Amino acid sequence: MSDLMVEARGVTKDFRISRGLFRGKEVLRAVDRVSLNVNRGETLAVVGESGCGKTTLAKIMLGLLEPDDGTIKLCGMPINEISRLDLAKLVQPIFQDPYSSLNPRKTIGSIIQLPLLVQGDKNPENWRKRVLTTMDLVGLPSRMFDQFPNQLSGGQRQRVAIARALINRPKIVICDEPTSALDVSVQSQILNLLNELRSELDLTYILISHNLAVVEHMATKVAVMYFGEKVEESETDQLFSRPQHDYTKTLLDSILVPDPRSASKFH
Amino acid sequence: MAFVTLLPQKTEIEEGAVSERVLDVENLSIEIPVVGGMLHAVDNISLHVERGETLCIVGESGCGKSLTSLAIMDLLPKKAIRTVNKMSLNDENILNFSEKQMSNVRGNKMGMIFQEPMSSLNPSFTVENQMLETLSRHRNIVGSQAKDLVIQMLEKVGIIPAEKRLRQYPHQLSGGLRQRVMIAMTLLCEPELIIADEPTTALDVTIQAQILKLMKGLQNDFNVGLIFITHDLGVVANIADRVAVMYAGQIVEEGSVFDIFDNPSHPYTRGLLSCIPVPGKIKRGEPLGSIPGMVPSLVGDFQGCRFSGRWGDAHEQLDGADIKLASTSDKSKTYKVKGSETHLIRFCCEDCLKKSYIFDKRKAS
Repeated sequence: MSDLMVEARGVTKDFRISRGLFRGKEVLRAVDRVSLNVNRGETLAVVGESGCGKTTLAKIMLGLLEPDDGTIKLCGMPINEISRLDLAKLVQPIFQDPYSSLNPRKTIGSIIQLPLLVQGDKNPENWRKRVLTTMDLVGLPSRMFDQFPNQLSGGQRQRVAIARALINRPKIVICDEPTSALDVSVQSQILNLLNELRSELDLTYILISHNLAVVEHMATKVAVMYFGEKVEESETDQLFSRPQHDYTKTLLDSILVPDPRSASKFH
Repeated sequence: MAFVTLLPQKTEIEEGAVSERVLDVENLSIEIPVVGGMLHAVDNISLHVERGETLCIVGESGCGKSLTSLAIMDLLPKKAIRTVNKMSLNDENILNFSEKQMSNVRGNKMGMIFQEPMSSLNPSFTVENQMLETLSRHRNIVGSQAKDLVIQMLEKVGIIPAEKRLRQYPHQLSGGLRQRVMIAMTLLCEPELIIADEPTTALDVTIQAQILKLMKGLQNDFNVGLIFITHDLGVVANIADRVAVMYAGQIVEEGSVFDIFDNPSHPYTRGLLSCIPVPGKIKRGEPLGSIPGMVPSLVGDFQGCRFSGRWGDAHEQLDGADIKLASTSDKSKTYKVKGSETHLIRFCCEDCLKKSYIFDKRKAS
């Protein structure tokens, strides 16, 4: 198997948007001929303003949306030739809001266990053990097995979402704004956890974020999207020291450095 | 400024000497009865804002930041109990104002900008309608004069051409534009004080930078006091003059923005600052600092230390010679940090203080 985990070629997605009653539809190009390569163990960050197609691209890579044009290969296989169950074993998402991504009627244990059930795992007697191992991996105490999401804090819920994504040991994890709904103190815990898990489980991350400080800390490669197009892609250090595209420069200018002496942009 | 001349004078305020202190709040506590008992959401805090000054309130969610701002506006939920010794706006005691008097103050002398502009604008009225209403309610300005003012103000916050936007509804505007409309609406009556509760959290980084720049510029033009509530320390470093760090309903550290960032003296502030990735400071992939545990529940009579369980393994103790006792109340002790008269830290209990600072007996004697 090659080391190229994700290979996107000219991916395009159009949405047809209603302009009002009797007015017909308008075509909105959400993702416009985007090509990406992500190697094993890399973290590719996708940055850009809201509405620039980051999340649509993520959904296409997860197989939740079909591209109108272009191809996506995961681990060398075209995504439309992989069955849904196999795809779910290969790539998993972690969403932004842990308050809406967990079913409030299910216990933590059954939420984390669901992927095993869906995959028709052969050894049901081992499930509880596997869930507990995964909970331990993401730093959740085992007493939470029978608790419900509303009894957990935001950071703990995001850990549950991470545990659910990892229980079938996927190779690629797509994190869509994993920390933007969390407090800074919790954000640092989740970022530390994601970094540990990456080396421990040999994961490849695609990180969607608009927090450039987080991107700088986590990513090895950054792709900048603007109005559906990928306008720039380079190594993180290079992007932050020598931005090429005007939009990237605007983005970097809007970083608020937490140091009143070097920052004080608005004083 | 051409804009100011258009407005009739605010007689009640501009007569007499103008105080430099816009807002002065002393010993504010908020208690809310909940199922399990009394929730002590805010515990005995004091704060003040000078004219033209930005006070940033930072802290994790659930620390009482937003309730504090609502208490100042007298907009707390009905069952909440507010106890406060002093609350004055421009040296005028607003503590015993009736609801009617208060509603003349809100939106007029005190403006508020909320986090989510979509939920604070009325979706069924146009921008023009909502802005004109503010003027007719508080200033008695109607007709073409009011419309001119509205257009001027929208242009001032960078909505150009403003006339085109007047007849639009909030859902037709982008998030950044909506927040600009909110700011314009807040500034229409030239308030003395603006309370902004996470005004840029829902916006993109590029838009956030624009809005912050705009707010800072307008604050200088209008010379208003600004209370800015946020959890983003990057924002704080860029716009604050003074900072108050809140934790579990108390202000644990306050001082100038340089005091807080150059010499954070409370372990909680130090913890918060170590959590954020700073480009160039921490190597990529290196673990960030963190504050273990979570904010304690403040329901019922709180016993013991608010920080128990939140001391990291690697927390460092500081030198007790750097601080000196400033005042003591029955519950907490306030210390002054040496080198700055306005840099204060507070500890909820003795235990907390001892864990943070080493007191060398020989040095003291």
